[in-house]
Amino acid sequence: MIQSGLIAALVWVLVQGLDRLLSWQTLQRPLITAAVTGLFLGDLQTGIMMGASLEAIFMGISAIGGAIPSDACSGSILAVAMTILTGCDVETGLALAMPIGTIMATVNELWKTVLASFAPMWEKLAESGKDGRFLRMMIFFGLIVDRLPQTIILFVSVAFGVEGLSNVINMLPAWIMDGFGAASGMMTAVGFAILTSMIWSKEIGGYFFVGFVLAKYLNLDMLPIAIIMAVAAMAYFFNDKKLIEMQKAQAVSGETAADGEEDFF
Amino acid sequence: MGKNQFTETEKKTLRSMFWRSGLTFSGFNVVKMEGNAFCATMAPALKELYHEEEERKKALKRHDGFFNTHAVPFAFIAGLTYAMEREKTEKGSVDDDTIENIKISLMGPTAGIGDAFFFNCFRIIAAGIGMGLAAQGNILGPILFLLIYGGSQMLARWYLLRAGYTMGTTFIDRVFSSGLLTALTKAASILGISMVGAMVATMVDVKLDWTITIGETSVVVLDILNSVMPGILSILLLFGLVALIKKGKKPITLVIGILVCSVALAAAGIF
Repeated sequence: MIQSGLIAALVWVLVQGLDRLLSWQTLQRPLITAAVTGLFLGDLQTGIMMGASLEAIFMGISAIGGAIPSDACSGSILAVAMTILTGCDVETGLALAMPIGTIMATVNELWKTVLASFAPMWEKLAESGKDGRFLRMMIFFGLIVDRLPQTIILFVSVAFGVEGLSNVINMLPAWIMDGFGAASGMMTAVGFAILTSMIWSKEIGGYFFVGFVLAKYLNLDMLPIAIIMAVAAMAYFFNDKKLIEMQKAQAVSGETAADGEEDFF
Repeated sequence: MGKNQFTETEKKTLRSMFWRSGLTFSGFNVVKMEGNAFCATMAPALKELYHEEEERKKALKRHDGFFNTHAVPFAFIAGLTYAMEREKTEKGSVDDDTIENIKISLMGPTAGIGDAFFFNCFRIIAAGIGMGLAAQGNILGPILFLLIYGGSQMLARWYLLRAGYTMGTTFIDRVFSSGLLTALTKAASILGISMVGAMVATMVDVKLDWTITIGETSVVVLDILNSVMPGILSILLLFGLVALIKKGKKPITLVIGILVCSVALAAAGIF
């Protein structure tokens, strides 16, 4: 089973990594992931056919037993691996894959905060001007680091079973998870705070609250907010344009008036 | 100058930017989201445009800020930014703030459009075709899905990158020659700051989970605060952080501070 665990982890690195290098978000869909898992485990046919039903499940078209594991990619790999390795049917395979979504989500919260602490490292790297190194680090992170703990979890799940792993996760005190969950919701504010401190000025600052209210109170999507605010910005623009043209016209008329006076005398 | 006639250098830079724009989700973190990818994508353009080493480093750092949109319009904004950086370095007509404001004002709405087109439309069509074939065990199922969904994004990114660049050059030229750049900058910053407000409302989340029990009655603190103003904690957090940044605190200090406070407060039962 250790070998199968390694294969599952390899499939995960492959589909997740390639998606991160091409920004496709395509290979990690069950349709592809299941086929690749099947191919690597020596039963392409089963992989392809399971891919079809898994894709339907994760798109919400159909459900097995009314529940869906929350992580489409790892759920698919695990379900296909279980089906091929133990010879059980698709529904049992998927049922065995159920807990992995929760585990993945939990670990993801923890790992998010670790990745966030790399932000200054990236900034320093950008500031050093070393393009090549920046690019190589990006590829390294995209392929390996971004999803490292998830890779390990998938390996352990296939090699040693999912149940033991969920027990370990359940042993973590709830407040640690709550704390990390709360932290990742607030860390995004650091990025926005940097932006705000860059573009804030007294004259336009108030518009921050207009955007906030439109999104929070009226629950509008980004596009309608952008349209409303673009109209406001355009009104501002044309107002300024008129002002600039008037100033120009004044300057010109002032000159001609001066010229006229010279002629007059 | 014909609009679709790129010089050899421009073609080379655009090609390099195209491949790098594939890294959209690499090096992703909750603080800067796709900022690292944007920086990596802009690097070839900056290399071409900035001959002064110090200036180039500054520009790289500038583009390693917060950035977030869908992967396809990502390329469009990168193309547009390439054009703006060219105007900046060659004519000095655009300043850093204008570039940043235009970037910010575009990321929110383009993310919505990208999701609508690719995630909610092309993906469903591709999956529909792919699932039908795959259910019969036909290998064409996954392959067609890959080509339709992945391929359409790839093509769209390539054309949008170039479109962003051409549009940027002609548009900025026109605005600059009419002497309206200050007006444009102000308009862009209005759109930019209001989009930041909207994004803070939807993406920043203070998960307060604090119930005070006095005798028989218990009070959920978050409900009370939200009845004053929904999301008031997000706003307080944001402007608290802005104040700290203005005082010269480094982002890493803030990130670690948030983490330590969250875990400590969670242990105390407040989060």
